[in-house]
Amino acid sequence: MILLALADWRSWAVMRRHARVYLRTWYIGMMPPAMEPVVAMLAFGLGLGGFIGALVWHGQTLPYLTYLAPGLCAYTALNAPFFHALWGAYVRMHYQRLYDGLLATQVELPHMVAGEILWGGTMGTMFVGAVVAVILALDACGVLHLPHPLLLPLVLPLVFVMGCAMASFALTFTAVLPSIDHMNLPAFLLAIPLSLVSSTYFPVPEGHPLVRLLLAINPVHHLAESARALAILGEPDLHVLWMLLSSGVLLAVTMPLATMLLRRRLLGG
Amino acid sequence: MASDLLLEATGLVKHFAGRRVVDGVGVELRAGMVLGLLGPNGAGKTTTLRMLSGFIAPDAGTISYFGRDFSTARSATKRMLGICSQEDTLDQEFPVAENLLRYAGYFRPRVDDLHARVDELLDTFGLRPFAGHRPEELSGGFRRRLMIARAVVHRPRVLFLDEPTTGLDPQARVALWQLVNRLRGEGLGIILTTHYMDEAERLSDELLVLAEGRITARGQPRTLLGAVLGEHVAVYATAGDAVLEERIAAWLRAAKASTPAPIMDEWHLPLRAAQLAAFAAAFPALALRLREPTLDDLFLKLARDGEGAASAAAHAGRAP
Repeated sequence: MILLALADWRSWAVMRRHARVYLRTWYIGMMPPAMEPVVAMLAFGLGLGGFIGALVWHGQTLPYLTYLAPGLCAYTALNAPFFHALWGAYVRMHYQRLYDGLLATQVELPHMVAGEILWGGTMGTMFVGAVVAVILALDACGVLHLPHPLLLPLVLPLVFVMGCAMASFALTFTAVLPSIDHMNLPAFLLAIPLSLVSSTYFPVPEGHPLVRLLLAINPVHHLAESARALAILGEPDLHVLWMLLSSGVLLAVTMPLATMLLRRRLLGG
Repeated sequence: MASDLLLEATGLVKHFAGRRVVDGVGVELRAGMVLGLLGPNGAGKTTTLRMLSGFIAPDAGTISYFGRDFSTARSATKRMLGICSQEDTLDQEFPVAENLLRYAGYFRPRVDDLHARVDELLDTFGLRPFAGHRPEELSGGFRRRLMIARAVVHRPRVLFLDEPTTGLDPQARVALWQLVNRLRGEGLGIILTTHYMDEAERLSDELLVLAEGRITARGQPRTLLGAVLGEHVAVYATAGDAVLEERIAAWLRAAKASTPAPIMDEWHLPLRAAQLAAFAAAFPALALRLREPTLDDLFLKLARDGEGAASAAAHAGRAP
């Protein structure tokens, strides 16, 4: 039932508020997603990639840069919503007391949570949009070569779904962690390992059953592979469905949990 | 008149951690009325306010606004409530005028002529010169004004003011009193909590006094003082004479009179007219100065009663 809040006007009013705050200084906010792929491709692609040379993916031998570029979309789709819902939401809740103000209106707790989640998804989509734009520009300049670069923007709707799930996941920690310093715990113990076991920067060896399980339930891995399938193979593959399924499950579990924990924290019951 | 009745709550009960913090509280609020909610810290004022404004649900009891049950018509009811909390919850990201515009966006149906409404509030609350300033740039008094302006931007019918003047200088307090009076004149029903007794007395049409989660007194301020405290407060000094103090205490126990409040070097003793005559006759050598009781006396009496109950409960080996 709480998931229905995602469609309520009150959730979108909260989301619009966050968007309005962000868009006032969008040119500063867009710097990290625009610069990060450039830096990553320079450091890992051109720099480290020179040592790696080529690797085999789905039976195709690819330059490392070609492998890396779509993976950056998935990496950004994890980071932006997750960290926004950790630090950003905590600042709004604890320091700015924004939530107390919102709860004095027709906005209820599930709408506030849904607003944060929708903004997480939207922000993730905007950030990945910037990454895609940079990749397309580098492709056009000949710095990297993607067989089907123009299909890469099709990944954006998937990014929105996964961004919502990641924001919801992060909010469960925002709801319980006692101070802003504690945010480092989920950031370093969850977000970074998730990005490592995800085929974003390198193909993860699938020999061990535990690794196979982690890959199967990790939406970041499925998004990275979906982006690659689009940009390299020129068609979507089953990872799209797995990404939607794993993100949907994550959202369905963590959104009610985050709402319950925030209710306990903010309203005492 | 029944049609004036904005809020009717009966038998409200709330427990926290196994402790009954609100116990059978009932509230009625009519249009154009200010209801003052008084009581010492821990009396249950804030919990009552949070139940009435929908932040938390009561464990028992009913709350109805405009004749409709709050729990079944929650969103439509919240559209008609304005809440100004004790803490500053302004949106720090937006300047004053945009704070009002944004806040109105959290209500449906939408506010008619929103920009005209915001203009009106900027003028009424003296915020026009600061329309483009961020809340953090305002003084405490103007931030409180903005909090109240924001709470009424959607034209509610009921307004909750939780200690609206705490921390303000006298000039800012008087300015806010005038604004509250104006809102009452516009027909809003207002529930006010405050620790300033002069404020409660000036603003409230009716007072509801809480202690340990229960209503201990209710009524118009002057009537309430007479009913709870009596008509007089006798002020006297004993110069530390323990024998005299014990004699007075014994007399008061026998007369079932209030206990006196020690303030500086004097004792302030609320008494009814008949008790005053008997007290003066019993202690002819005592120099008595008389004054009218105030809400401060009422507040001090309730605090003393609360301490007495807590002490008795502690002696009985249970939590108060």
